[in-house]
Amino acid sequence: MKPVIETRNLSRHYGAGDTLVKALDDVNIVIEPGEFTAIVGPSGSGKSTLLQLIGGLDIPNSGKVLLSDKEISEMSGSELSDFRRDHIGFIFQAYNLIPVLSAAENCEYIMLLQGIPAAERKERVYKMLAEVGLEGRETRLPNQLSGGQQQRVAVARAMVSQPDIILADEPTANLDSQTGMDLLDMMHDLNRHEGMTFVFSTHDPKIMERASRLIHIEDGRVIKDERRED
Amino acid sequence: MGLTWKLALRNILRNKRRTFLTMLLISMTLAILIFTDGYMKAMADVMIRSATRLYPGDGQIHHVEYLAERDGEKQIDDVAGHIAALQSEDMIASYSPRALDFGMVSSTANNLAVQVVGIDADLEASVSKLKLSIVDGEYLNNEGSDSQILIGKALADLLEVDLGDRLVVSLNNYDSDEIDQRLFRVSGIFHMNSNFFDKGLVFIQLAKAQEMMGIGDNVHEIAFNFVDEGLSGDESLPVWKNLSTDTTVAEGWTSLMADLASIISMFDFSMFIVGGILFVVAILGVINAMFMSIYERTYEFGVIIAIGTRRMSVLTLILVEGLVMCIGSLIIGAALGALITVIIGNVGIDYGSMEFSGVALAEVLRPELRMLQFTDLPFAVFVMTMVACVYPAIHASRIIPATALHKSL
Repeated sequence: MKPVIETRNLSRHYGAGDTLVKALDDVNIVIEPGEFTAIVGPSGSGKSTLLQLIGGLDIPNSGKVLLSDKEISEMSGSELSDFRRDHIGFIFQAYNLIPVLSAAENCEYIMLLQGIPAAERKERVYKMLAEVGLEGRETRLPNQLSGGQQQRVAVARAMVSQPDIILADEPTANLDSQTGMDLLDMMHDLNRHEGMTFVFSTHDPKIMERASRLIHIEDGRVIKDERRED
Repeated sequence: MGLTWKLALRNILRNKRRTFLTMLLISMTLAILIFTDGYMKAMADVMIRSATRLYPGDGQIHHVEYLAERDGEKQIDDVAGHIAALQSEDMIASYSPRALDFGMVSSTANNLAVQVVGIDADLEASVSKLKLSIVDGEYLNNEGSDSQILIGKALADLLEVDLGDRLVVSLNNYDSDEIDQRLFRVSGIFHMNSNFFDKGLVFIQLAKAQEMMGIGDNVHEIAFNFVDEGLSGDESLPVWKNLSTDTTVAEGWTSLMADLASIISMFDFSMFIVGGILFVVAILGVINAMFMSIYERTYEFGVIIAIGTRRMSVLTLILVEGLVMCIGSLIIGAALGALITVIIGNVGIDYGSMEFSGVALAEVLRPELRMLQFTDLPFAVFVMTMVACVYPAIHASRIIPATALHKSL
């Protein structure tokens, strides 16, 4: 099976000379389709940097990122935007919904960019919001939803365009532990039913328990890669 | 409604105070420009009217060599032919032949050099404001005594004379080449609100002046007014050529009063300066407001770029936000500018007896509306606003998602 994500000697440095910080140093990972992978490590270990580089949101100093065998550093700005739009779903720590759009409109946003017809957009949005337990709250603005509900909308937004990969940076960090566990269970269910590849970062041991693969990072380097039975 | 428009409209309504202040800045820029243009136009018109219609007229016909030295021997000899030509022109409203020369006026108290002007009282009344400027006594009467003389109030004070007092006027007689002296009685005193006219001119009957100067039926000048005073500055009109002959030339105020024409042309430059200052202030204000709006949403732009929005779409979004605010502001600004101009136009600005650049403003100044205030000026403000939005828009489109999302993905 072709890997959906592959990094080769990936490095990201900040600063220079005495102030050089190696946020990521020679990282090589391979993630197969459908995996539910957690990037784990203490704060400042390089988890977010790795996810940013995988998602094409930042440029590495050296090394390559291949997504479905395509090297993203060779893509133009527009190609990379289109690739992210069509193949990657993002879930952010702080929900990051567009505040002037309703829950349904936030979910619809990517499909609008993709040019999906209105009827299909509506059907998929309402179905996805129902799946994440937000039936009846479609027209609410983000500030009319709780933190947990906003993160559910963010999950729905990431998944509704049916991307190949979902990247989530500490998606439960701003939620209470129960809501965080519920959200992760929901993501795991979607992973199993929809077959999407999930890569998320966390330093919460309870969350780690739900992952089928743990990639441990410390000081910008992968120190352990363990696969677990589901 | 497209996604960009929907987002732009909702973003504009998101921070109502900032949107209000930005739109106020743009609309006030247009409103001030409209009023300033109306004011400048009114000022120019009043100055031109004050300068031309007070006495000189919109245009004048002279012997081709007369104006160079004001030589009294250079006369218009075919007065009837020129009057016929003036009467045949539809755009000419009135005319007045004048015999004029420099002479001496003497009272028991003083002797002063003045310009003596012989006029047909009825025709002159249709060209200049002399008749309306009489503040004491009577205007000249063509049928009355030929010893009538009109003098300015300032001259009367200098000569220490009053109505009915005797004056002796001395003029060169070009026929006999001798000085002709005649006795006149002050029949009227005028006040044109201009030192040059009030101290330097005296008016007598045309026939009397022609007799004293020994010029027969000739005159030195034929002043005339247009039906539409706005045409008087157009030197390309065929009327100037039609009224000129081999020995005479018809000229408008732009040639006769070159200094005034220069001052009027400076008004356009002044408008340019005022507009330029307003534009710089408004551009900086709009750039500042747009940047504030962008900085407030940096995280959001990071998110929408991260989830697949092209950078060009982000740039378009900011430009559309600017466009929507601009169009709304132009409508408000045009209405506001029109309202201010109409209100002040109705009330009027009275400069009293103030002289501006040597011209006494003889009328209340009333700013006026004209088409370019609602075409050229809004277009200029529109271009200015959109230019001001380009830099912030480019900045927003170049946001690096990883930097914008700093603390998260």
